[in-house]
Amino acid sequence: MIPDGESRLLYDAVRSSALALITPCREGEAIAIAAGLWTGGCKPLVVLQNTGLMEAGDALRGCGLGPRVPLRLMVGWRGYGGATAGRAPIDSAYTYTEPLLAAWGIPCWRLMGDEDLPALATMDRTAEETSLPAAVVTGWAFRP
Amino acid sequence: MGVPAVIERMDLFRALAARRTDEIVVMTMTATLQWPLVSRHELDFDFLAFGMGHAGDFGLGLALARPERKTIVLKGDGGLLMSLGSLVTWAACAPGNLLVLLLENRSYELTGGQPLPPRVDFAALARAAGLAGGGATGTGKVERIETLARFADALPRLLAEDGPHFVVLPVTTREALPPVNHSDHAGRIRTLRRALGMA
Repeated sequence: MIPDGESRLLYDAVRSSALALITPCREGEAIAIAAGLWTGGCKPLVVLQNTGLMEAGDALRGCGLGPRVPLRLMVGWRGYGGATAGRAPIDSAYTYTEPLLAAWGIPCWRLMGDEDLPALATMDRTAEETSLPAAVVTGWAFRP
Repeated sequence: MGVPAVIERMDLFRALAARRTDEIVVMTMTATLQWPLVSRHELDFDFLAFGMGHAGDFGLGLALARPERKTIVLKGDGGLLMSLGSLVTWAACAPGNLLVLLLENRSYELTGGQPLPPRVDFAALARAAGLAGGGATGTGKVERIETLARFADALPRLLAEDGPHFVVLPVTTREALPPVNHSDHAGRIRTLRRALGMA
């Protein structure tokens, strides 16, 4: 998990849970570590911001898509809140998030509130059944 | 310019292969071309083209998932420069069963031998990242071994004692490199998982 403004509350919750938390320095590391964990028999979830996903493209290609590793991705959607409130996006991260996942052929579901929680199970099942990465994108999902 | 290389890489690999038993070996870049000349083990894993600079991170994941056996990573100094933050993550997680052998040739060998910045001290970087005596175990070790004889002497210790270990090994090679193999990445993963007892 690479904490960001969107997932900071999730970070606090995971820290105080029984889940094992790894906080790499960059998202490419996170994806490669997750691929190693899965190869060794674990079931990791990679939590990262959309900007980090863009940084980690080569790792995602090499450790996920190419070798068919079912990475579970939770992608924080920086810029979503402002954009849906009618403000101009603060940068291009908002614009490219879903198109980038689509370009890689990674199925994704929006997780924006409690009503969307089934998306997690759908993402998990899809990754398992296809043996390929799958993602949820989160915007405002963890706000108090 | 650079540090004179003092260990012939194939000799280093032969020494390691002679001692290795049930450890996982993750290799990348030129190591993927030469290690198979001395080892055909079901727990060998060719990381070439799985993600630039991330062989050690993949090895960290394996080490954390499989604490019952050691994971050895054979990677180059150029690859480490592509993900220097990995040193910090390895130190923070600090699995006792992770052994990183950094093959220091001061160049991007596979892409034509372009030189690395000459004054980088990889052992010092690893120490500064907290790998020596730090991390979760407090047993992390960083060392530089400059001769084949000393490497051969150190191997029983490196394979037996708790780490994580980060070992810098200045290397050269006089032997011709076999062709690069970019095939069947999914098959490589399946083979390793099968060897580790999973479907």
